Amino acid sequence: MMNTSENETFIPQNGAKIFIKDSIKDTILHFFKDTLEKKYFDAVLIPVKVPAGDSYSWILIEDISLLKDANPIAPIMTVQGATALSKFTRKGKGSLKVAVIFRPCEIRATIELAKLEQVDLEKVYLFSFDCPGSLPILDYIQDPEKGEKTFSSFYADDNWTNESIKPVCQMCTDFSLTSSDLHFGIAGMNKDQILLIPNSKKGEDVLNDLKIKSGESLSDWQKKIDEITQKKEKIKAETFQKIKPQVEGLDNLIETFSKCISCHNCMSVCPICYCRQCYFDSEVSKFNSDNYFQRAEKRGGLRFPPDNILFHSGRMTHMNLSCVSCGMCEDACPVSIPVAQIFSYVGDKTQKAFEYQPGRNRGEPLPLKTYQTEELQEIKKLVNDSFGQE
Amino acid sequence: MDKILKINESSEKVIIDLLKFLFENKKINGVFTLRKAKQNSSVDYALITDISGLDKAVPFYPLMPANAGKVLSFFTLKKPTIKPIAAILRPCEIRSFIELVKREQGSLENFLIISSSCGGVLPIKSPEEQDFDKSISNYWKSVKNSEIYANIRPSCKACEFFTPFNADMTFSLIGEKEQDKECKIFLHTDKAEKFVVGFKGNISEGELESSEISSLLEQRKSKKEILFNEIGIKNKGLDGMVDVFGKCLGCHGCMRVCPICYCILCDFESPTYDYRKIDYENQLHKKGGLRLPPDTIFFQIGRLTHMSFSCVGCGMCSDVCPVNIPVSTIFMKTGEETRQPFDYLPGRDVEDKIPVMVFMEEEFTDLGE
Repeated sequence: MMNTSENETFIPQNGAKIFIKDSIKDTILHFFKDTLEKKYFDAVLIPVKVPAGDSYSWILIEDISLLKDANPIAPIMTVQGATALSKFTRKGKGSLKVAVIFRPCEIRATIELAKLEQVDLEKVYLFSFDCPGSLPILDYIQDPEKGEKTFSSFYADDNWTNESIKPVCQMCTDFSLTSSDLHFGIAGMNKDQILLIPNSKKGEDVLNDLKIKSGESLSDWQKKIDEITQKKEKIKAETFQKIKPQVEGLDNLIETFSKCISCHNCMSVCPICYCRQCYFDSEVSKFNSDNYFQRAEKRGGLRFPPDNILFHSGRMTHMNLSCVSCGMCEDACPVSIPVAQIFSYVGDKTQKAFEYQPGRNRGEPLPLKTYQTEELQEIKKLVNDSFGQE
Repeated sequence: MDKILKINESSEKVIIDLLKFLFENKKINGVFTLRKAKQNSSVDYALITDISGLDKAVPFYPLMPANAGKVLSFFTLKKPTIKPIAAILRPCEIRSFIELVKREQGSLENFLIISSSCGGVLPIKSPEEQDFDKSISNYWKSVKNSEIYANIRPSCKACEFFTPFNADMTFSLIGEKEQDKECKIFLHTDKAEKFVVGFKGNISEGELESSEISSLLEQRKSKKEILFNEIGIKNKGLDGMVDVFGKCLGCHGCMRVCPICYCILCDFESPTYDYRKIDYENQLHKKGGLRLPPDTIFFQIGRLTHMSFSCVGCGMCSDVCPVNIPVSTIFMKTGEETRQPFDYLPGRDVEDKIPVMVFMEEEFTDLGE
């Protein structure tokens, strides 16, 4: 588990033991309540139940009394945390010291957005936890009570690959410590305690400042994480096997996306798609009627709105190296296209090609934004192999 | 009185034959209609430019993958079509196209508009359901019996404008028990009459309005009130809005599929609503807590203000909502209220001015009082 923070390599050595009061969720909530009371943090960004009780939303809380409806480990991800944090920190500086409790994929998306200059991490403290996945939003909304019950059983039953969680969550192998400042280790612990693991210099400082003693071994937790990861690797391989035939070759791609109604919800909810206006929604992507007519005549017919596959493959090209497989796109798709599984499948390949893992390392540059002189040699070779020497 | 073209064949067959006839006689160069997508049950809109393409056409299929008014605007925004096209549209799609034309977002030029009395559409998710085929056949039973089919979009159940304005010709489907054997096409314009010269069938005279249509209208009127009351926000003010829109993800899918929301960049996605961190912090000090992203209800109210005059109640917004908010029912009802003082009906006539875009001297006197 290599991790770096602000360009410096940090390897977590040990953690602080926290005894569970009531439940894991209440214990974490209590931690934040305590830090707000001590005025160590000025505010905390945390999921809170909406007034109707059928969903959650991100609330930045300063007033401690508002924490009563908060749930640090919500059963659903209604808005990607990185999107919420980006709204808050994108423009200008502030003075508040803010704690944020995110799922690992939200941490990773946050790091990617920080690289893209859409998130400012100054005075922001990132907390994460061992994530059992999240339920599809609609499943929860249709029966919130059942959703809460199902979800709360995951930790109790040590169930990390439940079939009721989103497909991308079932196969997620980055469900634990990534690049947060502090991490709540839950897996493999005794039922009465969790570990608070510092994962950066910033995180270590928090524990020192709060006089929380760290010194517990990480080995039991690490062992369990490795065990779950192996299980999930297997599910991932199986899922990719299922997805492969659906997207290989243009014909399959067209078939899979034929249901798409071009609402672009997948893009709107994607934490990485931060463009104010997507290229494919812009003026340059619109043509005059003669152009459409000519295209229709070439093939005997033209689908409207046109350029469906172009949009999806274009979006893929633009954001796939940073795709954290959070599954927001799939949850927001009104026609149930397995968008997230498809993007995850392709992302796995493209990311491997660059040995890049989105959100793994704050200091790691985005592959397409860096240039190395050797790359030219590779291209030269490719060109020579294809077209012969000059 | 309109002219009626009667043909002793099913409406399903006649519409395809008519389109073939129009192609063959070079009266049109293209057909804009629903087409059955490859293998699955979903449909898409397509511009078909030769007869063979009509094999896949399913003009009256009860699904709306996009509001065709929006699609035709996309097609004609930069330039009207120079080649004549027959477009098969639902009444609400013609109405939204008319609203867009008023806003200079499209052109009716060179279109032959073919419509039908409309039984509504099934939600776009329906093809995923197991007994979808059965659903389709039950749908047609309901249409024949002028009943509201239980599985159609809520907005369709509440729609009072299911016979078209501004169509050149209308296929009569509602209450036509014999539509598998007999097809009635109402020709509303000279253009329609000219286009069918030489096509099969017998011409007579009559009105599209019938007791079957008035019966369905009554059913739909009462359904509209029931649906609106079911949402449970009546007389609840802002709290009601918070309850129903609290789960909104902010994806703005409702806006993106709305035929009336034509802005390339919505105001609510523009830099106007990019607040500084310091602004958020000030708000936070005032309220103790701050929802992120902000402006969830503000967006809905803003959109209502901008487009509810022209809302045609097509139901695309509800269909696309990933959290099942009954957007269209709320927007339909609000639109009805906001339009009422202006006696305005979206899509009735391309010459009708959009109320908030015209100014009359008397209005000033009203304000003075």
